[in-house]
Amino acid sequence: MGLSSGTIVNEGVQFCVFDLKRGQHEGEEVDKILYFFPFDCPYSVQLSVIGLSEGLITFTRIFSPEAPCEVIEAERHTHVFYQAEPDIWMVMIVEKNKDTEHVWRCDGLRVVLKEVHSLFVMFYGPLQSLLDKQPSGDLARSHLYSFVTDYLTDFHVGKKFQLPSFRESLGERGTIQMLTIEREVAIEVQSLVTVLESCAGRSAMFSSLVLFQNLLVSSTLSPDDTVNVFAYAVMRLTPQALSLGTNSWSYLRRGPSPNVTNLSPLSTTSASLEDHQHRSNDSSSGNQDPNYNVPRALQREKWSKGKDGFLVTDIWLKESGSSIAANPSVWLKQAEQRMFLLIYQHRSMTVVLLVPVNSLSNGEKDLPMLKQQVIENAAQKIVRVEERLSKGWPGENANHVKGYRYLLLDTDHNISRASPPGKVATLTKDSLLALNKLRKEIDLEKNRAERSDSKREKDVEVCVRARNNAWIIARMSRGKELYMVLDKANETILFASDAVEKFSNRYCDGAFSLD
Amino acid sequence: MDPDPSPSQPVDGDADQIPCSTVVTEEDGVRDLRLDDPADRKGTEELESNGSMQNELRHEGDMEIVEEIPQRAQDLVEETVLASSEEVLGDSSRGALVWRESSDRDGEEPPSPSSSGYAGERGSSVGSSENDDIGDVENGFSGQGNPIDGIAWGTGRKHIGEDEASVSWRKRKKHFFVLSHSGKPIYSRYGDEHKLAGFSATLQAIISFVENSGDCVQLVRAGNHQVVFLVKGPIYLVCISCTEETNEALRGQLELIYGQMLVILTKSVNRCFERNPKFDMTPLLGGTDDVFSSLIHAFSWNPATFLHAYTCLPLAYSTRQAAGAILQDVADSGVLFAILMCKHKVISLVGAQKASLRPDDVLLLSNFVLSSESFRTSESFSPICLPRYNPMAFLYAYIHFFDVDTYLMLLTTSSEAFYHLKDCRVRIERVLVTSNVLSEVQRSLLDGGLHVEDLPVDSSSHSGSSSSRLSQDGLTSAAPGRVREGYTGIGGPSGLWHFIYRSIYLDQYVSSEFSPPLNSASRQKWLYRAYQRLYASMHDKGSGPHKKQFRRDENYVMLCWITQDFELYAAFDPLADKALAIKTCDRVCHWIRDMENEVFLLGASPFSW
Repeated sequence: MGLSSGTIVNEGVQFCVFDLKRGQHEGEEVDKILYFFPFDCPYSVQLSVIGLSEGLITFTRIFSPEAPCEVIEAERHTHVFYQAEPDIWMVMIVEKNKDTEHVWRCDGLRVVLKEVHSLFVMFYGPLQSLLDKQPSGDLARSHLYSFVTDYLTDFHVGKKFQLPSFRESLGERGTIQMLTIEREVAIEVQSLVTVLESCAGRSAMFSSLVLFQNLLVSSTLSPDDTVNVFAYAVMRLTPQALSLGTNSWSYLRRGPSPNVTNLSPLSTTSASLEDHQHRSNDSSSGNQDPNYNVPRALQREKWSKGKDGFLVTDIWLKESGSSIAANPSVWLKQAEQRMFLLIYQHRSMTVVLLVPVNSLSNGEKDLPMLKQQVIENAAQKIVRVEERLSKGWPGENANHVKGYRYLLLDTDHNISRASPPGKVATLTKDSLLALNKLRKEIDLEKNRAERSDSKREKDVEVCVRARNNAWIIARMSRGKELYMVLDKANETILFASDAVEKFSNRYCDGAFSLD
Repeated sequence: MDPDPSPSQPVDGDADQIPCSTVVTEEDGVRDLRLDDPADRKGTEELESNGSMQNELRHEGDMEIVEEIPQRAQDLVEETVLASSEEVLGDSSRGALVWRESSDRDGEEPPSPSSSGYAGERGSSVGSSENDDIGDVENGFSGQGNPIDGIAWGTGRKHIGEDEASVSWRKRKKHFFVLSHSGKPIYSRYGDEHKLAGFSATLQAIISFVENSGDCVQLVRAGNHQVVFLVKGPIYLVCISCTEETNEALRGQLELIYGQMLVILTKSVNRCFERNPKFDMTPLLGGTDDVFSSLIHAFSWNPATFLHAYTCLPLAYSTRQAAGAILQDVADSGVLFAILMCKHKVISLVGAQKASLRPDDVLLLSNFVLSSESFRTSESFSPICLPRYNPMAFLYAYIHFFDVDTYLMLLTTSSEAFYHLKDCRVRIERVLVTSNVLSEVQRSLLDGGLHVEDLPVDSSSHSGSSSSRLSQDGLTSAAPGRVREGYTGIGGPSGLWHFIYRSIYLDQYVSSEFSPPLNSASRQKWLYRAYQRLYASMHDKGSGPHKKQFRRDENYVMLCWITQDFELYAAFDPLADKALAIKTCDRVCHWIRDMENEVFLLGASPFSW
């Protein structure tokens, strides 16, 4: 039943969402559970997982009231915690197995929890508001069950459930990958953005995100919102996502072709979803309507390109039981309002337009008119910009720097740039494990520095000569981080730091240069 | 804890005059020890006489080879369990037997209460706040002149009034707890164990909850806090810390605390839990607070606690040879280990054939001796266990302080070797005096160890530099801890501030003294922890040790270099030039190799490798 059965080997991953405020009375503990994966896990196990999590949150608050339990490391499992909302926690439990690929970085796993929550909030608002709206919790549960389950399908590689492991040490989920463009093209893009903004007419203004392939070209949203919309676009909207009918975190995924098994969510997952909803309704006391018609925003193969160049989907329905598709909308944190989502695609270019719902006097009825405006005013420009970008596009290995395997992070702007996955795959397992370990150390230092009162920027340089003679390098300076593996390199530390210096000067505007 | 000495305890007349002491007179001690099965003792003697005792020890590591020994751990414990403690060895609440040679004082005179094997009876200790580490205040670690030994350090139970409800208790930077698998508190660094019963039960619940799911909890992270768990059979150890130490370092510290418990009780204490899961172990450790406080203090200054290596007092080769020769002499006469130490530094040690001593055991043993006041006042004979050597069995240690810092430990398997060992000590002392070893030791103490400023700048001056360092008179007359007169520099060449060199084959390390700018306790501790992190970063269990590491942050440049022969850890000024720093490390290695004869004990256990 569910994802844990059939063709998918679950490999000991558990994922749960629970509300500390609920189920306070004995015998009602089940009420705490808002989501639990795998679905077929007996309630006794679910309760035990949540009991331990809750117990440790309470326990650690004795000493660390501001930052309670983040990780439990046991001999065989790692439990990663994320406090999504004041009372709502997400916990992911992964099994350790040293013989296989199961070596994680906790912060790498926590980013997954953070991402699924951020995306959830973008589509449905905070969980707490769903719980307030419908105190029995069924509304929140239905949303979570469809959304999180759809989200988790992205981690199915082949027949395996594969979370970001040490292999992804040269990648950073939850960040944006930018396309590097020349100045002249940048000016054209800027001019396109200005045109797009004005398409919505006087009463409203479009915000926009322009993507080329899976890379961001421009965004007028705040950094946080950009991360979320970008993540969604790459997961479900870009031409690659549409053609695969699946996620393609091209740069995060290892190997040249991830070749994700096509799990039809309708045939397998939704059956189990309904089954679960049925079960959960049986067990809940409230007799709420089980059919909440939750728009399954992350459902695969639900977006397609219409004749006018705009993407269409039937995920969102106008009313319960109706078959008329509604236009999708998202909630933006920064703007603090709900926005209609319009996606225009031309070849490799995807333009995501967001218009405030309440700026349209006739609501959704105004959208066809807006689309028309975009086609009339911007389509030409889009074609031209796409051409320019295609011409300058060096291909998949655009970010490859010969001799280097690297990840460059701009934590202030949530931007990352990295060696292409195909190149990272040439590194030895030992090098990647050593890098994973070094990143863990840096994570600890970084987190500590973030929590400390001192505003002093952390400035760290670490060069490690691993046993296999690879240099593993980490640099942290003024909101930027650089991780690097030099697999076949000279013995001396000076060589390694020289290599970093050169890279820094050439590709990081000297951010990591010593002078 | 049972404060009443058992009515029929073998301590005669004096017993009621020394209610706080575990001291047993010589005769009593002999009598007590004879309570054991004579057959076993005979067996031991035979083994000893045919010289195969050590083989026996090695080959039957899991067996309790000295059956009569666990009087403290086993008999006492068993008696406690069976509620019939009357027969044995006096006050079981001390859990200790120290058999004292009373020749130094008048036999009539009752020993002072403080001369117990474990100084500082619970509750009687000073409410010192020396290691009060609320907030950022944690006692500095010693390199120069700070108290590092038990006398200066041992302060007994701290903040006994605190419990989990106290804000001050919650804010302590580093807690250590020991509890039994049934949740009974055994030890807490802060607060009274009995008041912490509820908290202890919570820890037990966490551990067993995870255990029930077929797993074993190791670490919980929460903000800057780490909770580290170590399960050792029926004994659970937990550290809750917000220091910047690594999980690996904290786990190693819990291992050492467990080892220190074994030094006092042996692993046979587990049997008590087999018989009675709710067994209360606290009485057995009564009065040993100072031993644990001193060990915990060592976690913030003594590199031996994470390097798993010991360090030697720098001495001229001939001086150490003289000491080694006489120790070897006694080792050949049935002594298992003969160890001569000055504070926490080894002067010389030898083991009988095929017996090798592990650095962690040296650390735990010296900590035990240095933190127990009574060992200093007269010669003592005490059962101790060397957990890395054989955790199941007691050995007997004859301990004698030649002066306030220098002491001899002779370890044997025989409970009746006191007079023999006393004779050995007399012989050793005679040689040490006539060959000026003791005075050389004093001089070395005054001179202090290696100073980064003395690192030869020019490679041609390598040869001879070492001997001149050790032979010149009054190179520095400053006591350790005092800044050397007239010195105003800022460390050694190329911004070198400090280093630790560990010889892998010798299991020994040598570190430089702290020089300015590392002259504040807090900076020293910071550096110490940076070393700890560097060590953990270099030693990965999975992929084996890395070869090199360069690490620079706003406080230091740290360099580490690991080869098959040695590990070098060095700290530099954060602005130090990388190339020069690397060259300087090279020079340090040469320097140490030139001085190898003086700073290391070579051929320590000739038969163990």
